[in-house]
Amino acid sequence: MYSVSMYETKDYPTDRGEKISFDRSLIPPCQAACPLHMEIREYVDLIAQGKVMEALRVIRNDNPFPSICAHVCTHPCENACRRSQVDKPIAIRALKRFAVEFGGDRMVQGEAETMRSERVAIVGSGPAGLACAYYLRKLGYPVTIFEAHSELGGMLRVGIPQYRLPREVLDTEVQRLIQMGVEIRRNTRVVSLDLLFGMGYKVIFLTLGAHQGLRMGVEGEESPGVVDGATFLREVNLGLKPSLGEKAAVVGGGNVAIDAARTALRLGTKRVVILYRRSRAEMPADPTEVEQALEEGVEVQFLVTPTKIKRANGHLSVTCMRMELGDPDAGGRRRPVPIKDSEFDEEFDTLVTAIGQAPQIPEDFHLRMGRGSTVQVDPATLTTNRAGVFAGGDAVTGPATVVEALAAGRQAALRIDDYLQHRYPLANKEVREGLAGDLLPKTLDMVKKTSRLEPQVLPPEARGKNFEPVELVYNWEAAINEARRCLRCGVGAEILFQDKCATCLTCLRVCPYNVPYLDEGGVIQIPADQCQACGICVTQCPAGAIVLRKPYDRRHVASELDHALRSAAESKFKPFIIGFCCQYGLFGTGALASLWRRAKAGIWIVPVLCVAKVEAEHILRAFEMGAEGVFIAGCGEQCAREKTAFWVSQQVEKVRKVLVQLGLASERVQMFNLYAGDEDPAHALDEFTEKIGGLYLASVIKQEVKS
Amino acid sequence: MTVCGAGGEREVSFLHGALRVAQVKGGDGVHAFLEYTVKRQCDREFLDPLGDRVSEVDAILSLGCGVGVQVVAERFPDVPALPGVNTSFMGATEQGGVWDERCAACGDCRLAETAGICPITRCTKGILNGPCAGTKNGKCEANKDIDCAWVLIYKRLESLGQLDKIRRYYPPRNFRTIPRPRRLAGITSIDLGGSNG
Repeated sequence: MYSVSMYETKDYPTDRGEKISFDRSLIPPCQAACPLHMEIREYVDLIAQGKVMEALRVIRNDNPFPSICAHVCTHPCENACRRSQVDKPIAIRALKRFAVEFGGDRMVQGEAETMRSERVAIVGSGPAGLACAYYLRKLGYPVTIFEAHSELGGMLRVGIPQYRLPREVLDTEVQRLIQMGVEIRRNTRVVSLDLLFGMGYKVIFLTLGAHQGLRMGVEGEESPGVVDGATFLREVNLGLKPSLGEKAAVVGGGNVAIDAARTALRLGTKRVVILYRRSRAEMPADPTEVEQALEEGVEVQFLVTPTKIKRANGHLSVTCMRMELGDPDAGGRRRPVPIKDSEFDEEFDTLVTAIGQAPQIPEDFHLRMGRGSTVQVDPATLTTNRAGVFAGGDAVTGPATVVEALAAGRQAALRIDDYLQHRYPLANKEVREGLAGDLLPKTLDMVKKTSRLEPQVLPPEARGKNFEPVELVYNWEAAINEARRCLRCGVGAEILFQDKCATCLTCLRVCPYNVPYLDEGGVIQIPADQCQACGICVTQCPAGAIVLRKPYDRRHVASELDHALRSAAESKFKPFIIGFCCQYGLFGTGALASLWRRAKAGIWIVPVLCVAKVEAEHILRAFEMGAEGVFIAGCGEQCAREKTAFWVSQQVEKVRKVLVQLGLASERVQMFNLYAGDEDPAHALDEFTEKIGGLYLASVIKQEVKS
Repeated sequence: MTVCGAGGEREVSFLHGALRVAQVKGGDGVHAFLEYTVKRQCDREFLDPLGDRVSEVDAILSLGCGVGVQVVAERFPDVPALPGVNTSFMGATEQGGVWDERCAACGDCRLAETAGICPITRCTKGILNGPCAGTKNGKCEANKDIDCAWVLIYKRLESLGQLDKIRRYYPPRNFRTIPRPRRLAGITSIDLGGSNG
């Protein structure tokens, strides 16, 4: 067994692994948890490099309405993030918001072409309906959306308060759909599916949502002054100003309860009390939202449930009972158990019930219904019992999240396409292996802890009385630093050429994270779920048997270097210097550019994704192609990975030794730390440039003397 | 193949890069270089696939050990073979990138009597009945950074309860009797005509 690589003197191995250019990366937990399966790791990495427009492009690949998700997504990705084992998960939703706002999402034009004749009717314009319309238009179908309310958006419009999702955002997305040619019928309640089929629609997609508030089943629930949360929010969001009086109670512990309470405060209610029958730990509402509600002055009474409502003298007298937590129920939450003789009365002006919602499907639709008055569908195809009728979103699942509805909408669009093209349902995406499992303690201990940067929020005093968005967008520095915390699960190193591996244990010895290990059969293993993707073992492996799992990562340094060398060859500046600079952090945006501007001419920057990926051969290559000097500029202490500076210095020493043997000065290779506090990197670079200039002159004179 | 970071694909490629830099920065003549990495050089079969390509080259630079260079030279008699590394010793990894000599391949192994510590390589004098008078606080008089092998042997024998072994006298090795070149023919060996095994 032998391997051959053959290069003419001018050629360079731009990719040692060109023959195996396929992607062997694994799906990270965040992507697996996302109902839309967004390429989260990829766009977070692009943000870390300051490439915000590219990041937005990646986001838009998988998400039709990223600006909406950026505001209101419940981010199941963050709950799955493995960084939480180290400290706290990456703030993925906030990073998406940054990419959306700074990447120019508003400028994206909606484009679609009608290529098919089969018309599709979408009933309901919530996230599922809008997403389905988006993808069907992309597939070339004529689409009509029927919306019962005066405004599009479904729960996005009538359920979610404006301080969480600014209406401009929603309007922009709707406008884009109109631009794409989606026909929209507002104020149109669909009463018969047969009628729609009669109008010539070949397929109907039902996304009616779950707007019907559930009843508590207590005495006096019908009294005036008792309103359900969904109705209350709908009225507010459609422009009415319902009055809740001076003191209001909200029953429930979910997001709707929190939304209703915070909305009530903004409408001028003096005191808002949430009554929740369990404790804070069991609250299904987003903890951040709960925190913000408390900051704004919402009171929460835990372990309390109303048992009787009586109306007297224009007030509600609510009898409540105290609860204690019993055994866990099937869902794992502890069941509230009433405490005997703990009843007490409290006076409120109004009471909002927010204990859950259900869909309301007209019987005339003749659909088979499932539990909780939801529409029964085949989970794989979203087809109902009626031919040509598909259903998705809350109407099928019961109250769920925006991102789940978007996923259902996308799935429906693809399945409707299959249906109309008489095709067996195609799989959504190629199936790649997932990555699961906790980080082992020996690895976990070595990962640098960096605290999560939360986006700023309006101070509570500023948000009490209006519907301005509460959360603010990151600035560049915060976004990039937050994005750099990503562990990049699943793109690490692997031993691709087992036949080359001599089990020399170099990888095991150089790994800063104790990842490689020798298995019982004497074979070295680099477990994918532990690798931190720093790339040090790749550059150190004497056999070249280890590669990074993504083709881009494998090629990156060599192809960027080639590009820089070609540009340098064409430029008039002599001598020229090649600088390998870390692309992470702010180099990509500001610091590097200004450094480049301030440095003397003839410096060519090779952007690298961590200087630890620079190999000694790359440095030699620069010299071979005429560079008079080479420097490597890393981010030093700022680096999110361990020991990178040390291994760079090892490479530098290795090359210096060879340079001296070849009669060249070892100072021609330098290493800078762009973030060292005490020295100005631009100044150091200037000094280096001058020195190289001197060496260059000396060598020219020597040459002349020789000849 | 490489274990000690001298001769794997990366080292070949690094040396290749260095040679090209040397050429660009004032070297004489223009040479073209080809890179190959083979699994082993001490078995001719691994070299056979290179046959055709070798006929095109002027010299072979081998990053194998001294054995590899010689086998390459024998296999390709018409092309000069040059050593690319200076093979030094048989050693063990002390830590990443640091190796210590452990075996001299003397053909006269005493490790059974010396508690698994080789006095030939690890004692500066290579004596068989140590320690000598130069041992001081467990270190060697020749170099204070080196442990006295015989102190190590003594301590280990003591902990093994085998101190009787150090009380025995071992006659000095007869350096003159190593019949070079040596040949080793195992039971499975094919008769190659030698008889020194």
